[in-house]
Amino acid sequence: MGGSSVSAAPDPRPRGVRVVTRLLTRALLPIAVAAAILVVLPPLWFGDSPYTTGLAVEALVFGCYAVGFNLIFGSTNQLFLCVGALAGVGGYATAILSDKASLPLAVGVAIGTVSAGIVGGLLAWIAVRRSLTVIFTGIVTLVFSLAFTNFIIGQRDLTGADTGYVLQGAATELADDRVGGYYLFVAVLVALLIAFRALQLSHAGWAFKALRDDEVAAELAGVDVARYRIYAAVVGSAMIGLTGGLFAYSLGFISPVTYGFAQVDVQVLIIVAFGGMGTLLGPVIGAAAFGFLDRALTDSGQLRQAYYGAFVIAIFLFLRRGVVPAVVGVFDRLVASRRAERMDGAAPGRAD
Amino acid sequence: MRAVILDGIVLGLGFGLLGVGLTLVYGLGGVLNLAYGEIAVFGAIVVSQVMDRGAPTLVAAGVGMLAAAALSVLLDLTLMRPVYRQAGEERTLLGLLLTLGVAFVIVGLLNWKYPTGALYIFVGGDPISIAGVPMAAGSVWASVITLGVAGVLLVFFGLTTFGRGVRSVIQDETGARLVGISPSLVRTLIFALSGGLAGLVAVTRSMSAPLTVTAGFDLTTFALIVAVVGGLGSVAGAFLAGVLLGIVDNVSAHYIGEYITAIVLLAAAAITILVRPRGLLGR
Repeated sequence: MGGSSVSAAPDPRPRGVRVVTRLLTRALLPIAVAAAILVVLPPLWFGDSPYTTGLAVEALVFGCYAVGFNLIFGSTNQLFLCVGALAGVGGYATAILSDKASLPLAVGVAIGTVSAGIVGGLLAWIAVRRSLTVIFTGIVTLVFSLAFTNFIIGQRDLTGADTGYVLQGAATELADDRVGGYYLFVAVLVALLIAFRALQLSHAGWAFKALRDDEVAAELAGVDVARYRIYAAVVGSAMIGLTGGLFAYSLGFISPVTYGFAQVDVQVLIIVAFGGMGTLLGPVIGAAAFGFLDRALTDSGQLRQAYYGAFVIAIFLFLRRGVVPAVVGVFDRLVASRRAERMDGAAPGRAD
Repeated sequence: MRAVILDGIVLGLGFGLLGVGLTLVYGLGGVLNLAYGEIAVFGAIVVSQVMDRGAPTLVAAGVGMLAAAALSVLLDLTLMRPVYRQAGEERTLLGLLLTLGVAFVIVGLLNWKYPTGALYIFVGGDPISIAGVPMAAGSVWASVITLGVAGVLLVFFGLTTFGRGVRSVIQDETGARLVGISPSLVRTLIFALSGGLAGLVAVTRSMSAPLTVTAGFDLTTFALIVAVVGGLGSVAGAFLAGVLLGIVDNVSAHYIGEYITAIVLLAAAAITILVRPRGLLGR
């Protein structure tokens, strides 16, 4: 940190800046690669097919939900089975505030995001206070999801119940221009990934790692498990609420099914488990894989669900820890064997 | 008021029966069987197919329960094997994801083959008067069957040697193995029992209202809630939770209103879980 320049280095920048840039590049490289791929996809592939673009938007939305869920479940072990409901808090808040109270859209989305964060934080606070285990957190949040859906259906005057809710005015620009919606959600996804990465690298990231490995040990080592759980839940839920609000805006129409448990939570859980729990790119890879699967199964009609189920079973039988950890494992083994070979050639007998 | 509570008890006994099959499998193998509701629906479709071919209702119900039990055993012998090799949270999560996949496969196949399939067993006869309240014959018979099964299950787990063996596996798998009880055999038998109970749920439910192909998801979530409120692994707890939730449901439906009722019911479940995370009768 001293800044006294090393004589051999031609780089004029102070050393501290160089270290920071190198760290930043390494930290953000995976996100940059993913973003680049997402940006070039429409012109190269599906830009002129509104149907496929629509599916791609949906995959991106699920990717965003999955990043939030990954922060809550993957990083701090709280099984939140209320992703759909949290997104619905954001979605209905955005829709009703910008439509009925004629507030600017940005204000509606902001309020929706904050409300979702507060609700998620409250749920985590309850779970922490009652020291609920994973499954019990899952059941309580599942109960919350079902209650939320019933609440939405019950408030017919405000939410349109099962018939759904058409957002006046707000949506026309994006609903018609699907590619625009696509880029909106690419931007959201990239922003969420950067936030996730920043959390991973901060002191919170160390706490997450510690409490995921062994909760009791983390507590003994001075990590305030309760605080970090609530912290992760607030941030993750706000991410989900933001996505839900923007999704409502880009669809121009929402109904309880848009945020239903069966439609959202089940899918998000599978996406994150498939990609790799707690990993940076797991949610993106999972969402992409299930986006492709969705496209591939379009023509199978009635049997679609059965194929989907068979695929889910096959994946979890053979890839128990998810794609990212599996790839990283293979890579590590390759590097290790390469290194061992080199060691053998250079200095036999010296094993490190 | 008396009628409202009686109706609630009838409804609740159905809830309880639904929870029992799930709670047993969880208590034993640590697996939350998310395909449970779909297995019940599968049983219902088998019953309706057999009835369409002219078989008497009782025979059809028996065949349906056997088919559901067989499907459940098949699940245990194939897909659940890798699950049992895991322990703790890994086991729960893998079991959850695999049975979720199975649920998709079953509901997908049933939707494809019998898109309009449904089971409705009509029970004729005049309303039966219980404590001065006239009740539909179908509901009364469904409750009688449920009470009978509940009694048999409680006696079985409380008094018979095999039942105690099952409970020993629930408490401590290694300990059970040390005294000569094979956990994997017990698990297979309990999966069979759980499947049979799922089939029975389908039959008793369809005695008061039709059970359609799409009912599986609701059945699973409700079974889950009842099982957790009652205490995972506890048979008596599941029935107690079912009856209590049934009464709450009916009383609030009668005095407050339809949509709020579902929320009241869910809130009651959530509060029970929060006050007693082990469930009403959980250990």
